[in-house]
Amino acid sequence: MTLPWTEKYRPKSFGEVVNQEEAKHKLASWICGKFRAPREFCSRWAKLRDREVLDAKAVLLAGPPGIGKTTLVHALAREINYELIELNASDVRSAERLRQVVGRGLKEAPLFGHEGKLVLFDEVDGLHVREDLGGLETIIEIIESARVPIVMTANNPYDPKFRPLRDMSLLVSLRRLSEDEIVELLRRICASEGAKCEEEALRSIARSSLGDLRAAVNDLQMLLSGRRVLVVDDIKRVGERNPQLSMFEILDRVYRARWFDGARAVSFNPSFDWEQYLMWALESIPVVYRDVEASSEALDRLSKADVIIGRIKRAQEWELLPYALELALGGVSQVRSKPRLPPFIRYGFPQRLLILARTKEARRRRDALVEYIAQGVHASKSLVKSELIYVLSALAKRNPQIVERLRKALNMSAVDLKELLP
Amino acid sequence: MTSELFWFEKYRPRSLDEVADLEEVKARLRELVRSGSVPHLLFYGPPGTGKTTVALALARELYGSMWRECALELNASDERGINVIRERVKEFARTAPPGGAPFKLVILDEADNMTGDAQQALRRIMEMYAQNARFVLLANYVSRIIDPIISRCAVFRFSPLPRKLMAERLRYIAKSEGVELKDDAIDLIYELSEGDMRRAINLLQVAAAASKIVDAGAVASAAAVIRPAEVAELLNLALAGDLIKARDKLRELMYLKGVAGADIIKMLLRELIRSQLDDDVKAEIAEVLADTDYRLTQGADEEIQMTYLLARVGAIGRRVRQTHPLRKKQ
Repeated sequence: MTLPWTEKYRPKSFGEVVNQEEAKHKLASWICGKFRAPREFCSRWAKLRDREVLDAKAVLLAGPPGIGKTTLVHALAREINYELIELNASDVRSAERLRQVVGRGLKEAPLFGHEGKLVLFDEVDGLHVREDLGGLETIIEIIESARVPIVMTANNPYDPKFRPLRDMSLLVSLRRLSEDEIVELLRRICASEGAKCEEEALRSIARSSLGDLRAAVNDLQMLLSGRRVLVVDDIKRVGERNPQLSMFEILDRVYRARWFDGARAVSFNPSFDWEQYLMWALESIPVVYRDVEASSEALDRLSKADVIIGRIKRAQEWELLPYALELALGGVSQVRSKPRLPPFIRYGFPQRLLILARTKEARRRRDALVEYIAQGVHASKSLVKSELIYVLSALAKRNPQIVERLRKALNMSAVDLKELLP
Repeated sequence: MTSELFWFEKYRPRSLDEVADLEEVKARLRELVRSGSVPHLLFYGPPGTGKTTVALALARELYGSMWRECALELNASDERGINVIRERVKEFARTAPPGGAPFKLVILDEADNMTGDAQQALRRIMEMYAQNARFVLLANYVSRIIDPIISRCAVFRFSPLPRKLMAERLRYIAKSEGVELKDDAIDLIYELSEGDMRRAINLLQVAAAASKIVDAGAVASAAAVIRPAEVAELLNLALAGDLIKARDKLRELMYLKGVAGADIIKMLLRELIRSQLDDDVKAEIAEVLADTDYRLTQGADEEIQMTYLLARVGAIGRRVRQTHPLRKKQ
């Protein structure tokens, strides 16, 4: 039996986990600041001394599926030589069970040769508030009283029910991998498998993986099973299986539907995720319709769908959702001045997510500057962002001292600061 | 240091006496302070008319040098949600003010940006902590404040500074900073600032940074510099019907610069008024701006609403280009 490539190429050490440097530093700093860990590991990875890091009772690792949250914890345990006690939210139900399993695991001494124990609550967002009676409370209790490191993973840490967990934990976010990063990793796997893979084919797999490395590696293995060459035409085979690729199909069906009902019917598909769809539709409307009149009509419908969704979210009136979907599907599909569509449409990944991921650091710096100014002059942040920052940048151009003083106050490099002043 | 950096902050009046205008507001506030029974207050009026200044001056009047400990400044649009506000007020109002003052002061800016539900919650908070805290709500539009809050507050209207007083203040600042300020510059500043004192002082400061003699020309170039160029570009790209490029610009403003959709709409409106478009086209686009602003407050996703705005403006722009030659002939 062949090993799944997701296992075969899973990073074994902390250093092998790529493209997650920020998360690695944060996680290591927390471990080294609070627990026993090998010196050379700490001197290499633990650089942060913030209160935020050292005060946290546990770590909440957050990020979309398939980017290596669990892998990172495994690698950490191996690196610091701890025994890993792993609990998957989906296999431990109810508070009682949880307490039993962890309680027992923690009472016994660590396995021979281990320095200590590390508890991993995997996928805490799988906990169902009603079904897993008290599960969340029990985790909180365990964290409160534990003397061993506890790490949790979650896809969406901002779920309101996690509020108490979030407050007591250090939130470590793993970033969604970029298309280029995934292509690079796939290329390495191809090389090590001795396969010839077309660049465009790898790119296509990466694109449809939406940053989920595990999905991309699975797809690659499936496509390469029994063959040594991969070309872009092979990718179509994944279409039936891969839910991400079906987003392309969904869009294609919507735009090409000849009747309102045909477009609307897409929402009955089990893989239809309306929140995802809205983002992809927003991205694709100007590209597909090109004509500004048709785009404007389609966007009007999408905008009205969003207004309904706003109302749903505020008032929890979920019975309105069908109206929003009809507007977003049939309404986007059936516009009066609809142009002829080309035989093949390339649907792009919603750029917003990529932009937000790419600019995270720059935005953090911007927020620091805005906050600093807003506090100093009794103004709102929105006034600073839309007005005062332009005044400041005009003043700074005439007076280099301003940059220097701000730089010192905010502890930023001059280059970073100048980038913030338009 | 930021308070020294911006002249509007450096020259912000520190006491009610120093405030040049607003005689009636000042008299009523003094009376309240003297009688010792200060109710909740609601200050409303356009930006740059002294609401924050008077609120801070009032805090100084009430608490003297202890004012920082006794006044909590919050911004409704910055603090995430009513729960954050509740928590901060709770923490703040838990302890009695030092020095025997009867209550503390919570200054809540941009109160009219709160949703109706949040204002209801705010009303409860105001009642809950009425023992220890008085609220000063600052707003641009009183019509966006719910009635139960208005009825609990003493309401004060702030109007734009009259031309004469603005000119006096600008001259005073210029003199203190060693800048020669020409009369035509004052005229232009008054016109561009639309009575917004903060914007007026910003214009003066940026103009003065370029030259120690500030005339109308210097003010005009200052105005061009401090106007976000991206917004003018955004409007032009949208009008040209280049939706994809316009969207790139929009995303730069929203995500990189962090400007909120509603603020972009406000700036677009200012650009629109200044633009060379025919008046009927301006009216049509203004309608789209208003429509989108409304949808923004109702909707869930800013980018969807703002992209819709760009496409609508693009459609208008194209129609104008198609019909323009015909209209000329008529």
